[in-house]
Amino acid sequence: MLRHTLLFFDYEVKNLLRRPIWAVFGIIQPVMYLIFFAPLLRTTVPGGNMEQVLAMFTPGAMMMIALFGSLFAGFGMINETRNGVLERLAVSPAWRPGIVLGRVMKDMVALVVQATLVMLLALLLGLRITVPAFLLMLLLMAATGMFAASLSYGLALAIRDEMGVSQIVQFFALPLTLLAGLFLPVNLGPQWLQTVAKFNPLYYAVEAGRSLFRGDLGDSTVPVAFGLLIVLAAITLTWSMRSLRSLAG
Amino acid sequence: MIIEAHDLRKTFTAKRGRGKTEQVEAVRGIDLAVETGEIFAALGPNGAGKTTTVRMLATFTVPTSGSAKVAGYDVVSQAAKVRESIGYVSQAGGVDDNAPGLDSLILTARLAGMSLKQAKARADELLTTFSLSDIANREAKTLSGGQKRRFALAIGLVTRPPLVFLDEPTTGLDPQNRANLWDEVRKLRDEGTSVLLTTHYLDEADALCDRLVIIDNGKIVAEGTPGELKKEVAGDVVTLKLKGSDEAEDVLKAQPYIKEVRAEDGLLRAYLDDGEHGLPMMLRALEERNLTLESISLDRATLDDVFLKHTGRSLRDAA
Ligand SMILES: Nc1ncnc2c1ncn2[C@@H]1O[C@H](COP(=O)(O)OP(=O)(O)O)[C@@H](O)[C@H]1O
Ligand SMILES: [Mg+2]
Repeated sequence: MLRHTLLFFDYEVKNLLRRPIWAVFGIIQPVMYLIFFAPLLRTTVPGGNMEQVLAMFTPGAMMMIALFGSLFAGFGMINETRNGVLERLAVSPAWRPGIVLGRVMKDMVALVVQATLVMLLALLLGLRITVPAFLLMLLLMAATGMFAASLSYGLALAIRDEMGVSQIVQFFALPLTLLAGLFLPVNLGPQWLQTVAKFNPLYYAVEAGRSLFRGDLGDSTVPVAFGLLIVLAAITLTWSMRSLRSLAG
Repeated sequence: MIIEAHDLRKTFTAKRGRGKTEQVEAVRGIDLAVETGEIFAALGPNGAGKTTTVRMLATFTVPTSGSAKVAGYDVVSQAAKVRESIGYVSQAGGVDDNAPGLDSLILTARLAGMSLKQAKARADELLTTFSLSDIANREAKTLSGGQKRRFALAIGLVTRPPLVFLDEPTTGLDPQNRANLWDEVRKLRDEGTSVLLTTHYLDEADALCDRLVIIDNGKIVAEGTPGELKKEVAGDVVTLKLKGSDEAEDVLKAQPYIKEVRAEDGLLRAYLDDGEHGLPMMLRALEERNLTLESISLDRATLDDVFLKHTGRSLRDAA
């Protein structure tokens, strides 16, 4: 089981390394936000210095890679529902969850690498965090990537239509961004907004990221985010396995 | 016996929009018995149920009812065992466009349990067999249709399965590539591999298979060796085009040396055992009635004539 997952992972990583440019493209957005938006944000925070602004804003910018990158990870798999690749794998001795898990692992690694680059940039710009916070943040990104990518593969396998999947992802991307407090913490908003945000898994990831960057590693938001993301990833993975089975009609 | 199927059926529930569904009886009771080491073909027009049948045998689709054993294992309850014994080349090919063919070969081999070293050696063997060595490291999306098909076949064979399923292996190939692929399939038989292939090309079934079934509308309408099946419809067929074909049909039916006459889109097809001698006699009989011919041809009966006999349609029209 693990062997098959690692074989798929290895195969997918090779595919990714053949086109590293896409991974670079994926961080252009958050990088632009950090460079052009963070200084602007600073002027709106009374007495705010760059370090505080970056500690608040960087986790959001990093989650952006997950939203606009990992959530689209399943796109490639839609074609594979038609070109016979999944059909062939489904009747091979391959352990089926490994087909998706290997890909999810690849997306997690890609996201962690991207997140590292963004964090390094934030450090250059004046962010100050401890090494444990840095590492925990990477783990949190991995968990977020696991959920976002699994969700994307689940959608791809269930809907099997590029148009459909892109419509759905586009439709949810904006409210998820706003309701995660990607740019400004949700707790600055009214009560109802805070309540709605609680239904957004990304909200917990961003909150946990901010706790880490504040140096508050023991904050309850951290275990809550990890637990939630892992449980949701497990659910979406189960769902995608069921969709894979229904591919055969 | 490498494949044994009894009364296989598959009914799909297809969506028809606005929440309505429709029952599609894709396969309606198919029995198969394929001997180890033979090339067995399922011939039939598009939509006949060939792919669905193969998918059930290859454990992709679960049959609605009926049972099948492949390599001695039940396709439903022992699917994992079946999967270890088969190679499957789907109609779509199943070659990953975004990776070099070599990577797909090695991954498939390793998923079946080979070490990296074994997988590489086996991949090399197949690359040589299928003349793919020069393009082994090119992303598959840059390959031609024929090259991709060869990779699809190589991937299906990389685990040295005792049985391979080839679903429409030559659709979309030019004549040269088709002929090459036929040679490869024949080589498989020489090595003792059993092959179940589907096709809607008569000449392909005729040239390639040891035995075949003709499938139409989810059912088997004829079964046998190509020779046996053709014998059923007499050896030769004379195709005539003429005015007053109703009268001509009666005239021809009355001739003792003609076994059967069929009318089809303004053409008459007369089946007889010895065309060379029958033809002059036919011409004389038509002349006596002052029936003027527009055209006439004499051919050996093909599997199309078998299909026509059993379904009342020509496979060329049905496909
Ligand atoms: N997954 C499916 N859902 C609904 N109908 C299907 C499905 N697969 C095949 N069919 C229908 O079943 C019939 C047989 O299809 P198929 O087995 O692909 O035929 P062939 O391979 O001989 O062309 C067709 O009418 C086709 O539309
Ligand atoms: Mg088909």
